Amino acid sequence: MNCKKAMVLMSAAIDGELSVKESEELTHHLAACSECASEFQDAKKTKIIIRERIVRFEAPQALVESIVKLTSLTS
Amino acid sequence: MKEKKKVLSAQEELKQNEFQKEAVVHINALYNYALHLTLNPDDAEDLVQETYLKAYKFFDSFERGTNCKAWLFKILKNNYINKFRKNAREPGKVDYDLIKDFYHTIKDVQSDTTEAEADFFHSLMHEEVHQALNSLPEEFREVIQLCDIEGFTYEEIANMVESPIGTVRSRLYRGRKLLRAKLEDYARKHGYETDSEE
Repeated sequence: MNCKKAMVLMSAAIDGELSVKESEELTHHLAACSECASEFQDAKKTKIIIRERIVRFEAPQALVESIVKLTSLTS
Repeated sequence: MKEKKKVLSAQEELKQNEFQKEAVVHINALYNYALHLTLNPDDAEDLVQETYLKAYKFFDSFERGTNCKAWLFKILKNNYINKFRKNAREPGKVDYDLIKDFYHTIKDVQSDTTEAEADFFHSLMHEEVHQALNSLPEEFREVIQLCDIEGFTYEEIANMVESPIGTVRSRLYRGRKLLRAKLEDYARKHGYETDSEE
């Protein structure tokens, strides 16, 4: 496997979406390529940072109430 | 007659209870998805409202035991397409000030604990990550949100965006690459050298 293919697989690897064969190939490549191994660590961190730093807004109370009301009205 | 009405309303009550338990609990996730699609709080509210109305109407067709959140997201996405795409109507003007205000209200109470060690990732502000994500083309922004923030599987995302799993995978790869470059730009502004490794 070359580094280009490894980069593509890394993205799916951090989501746990690789096939067994792909996963084995990537592990093999990462063990031999320190640059890709380092890139893989950064890719994992990017996913973490997105999850942690993206603010989750709460739905406005008026919206919550209107939905409860709407579903009651359709009965 | 009176008895029949009572039975029907009991069924309706069961449906309403189940809907609350299964569907309404996902309102915050749906609202966030709608905000990311429309980039406008008013449009997002409308979209969520319409989604729940439709979901309630067709709740009997929801396959019990499957992922209700994914089902709701799919309905919301379809509503979004019908509302803003089919009629070639653009979502309302992006209200950046309002979104910024949200951040200023919320960011102080956000936990900053992270598995990542202290490095350039740590220097990034909530608002910067948000802006970086929002600056991506929609096809990339959407899959990143569905995967990284909402935690859907590739199969669930593929179903929502009506594309093959391979396309989802490729969009995630390309989107993350773009996002990473933008995040590194912000980090450089904070004085971090992003090319060097820890």
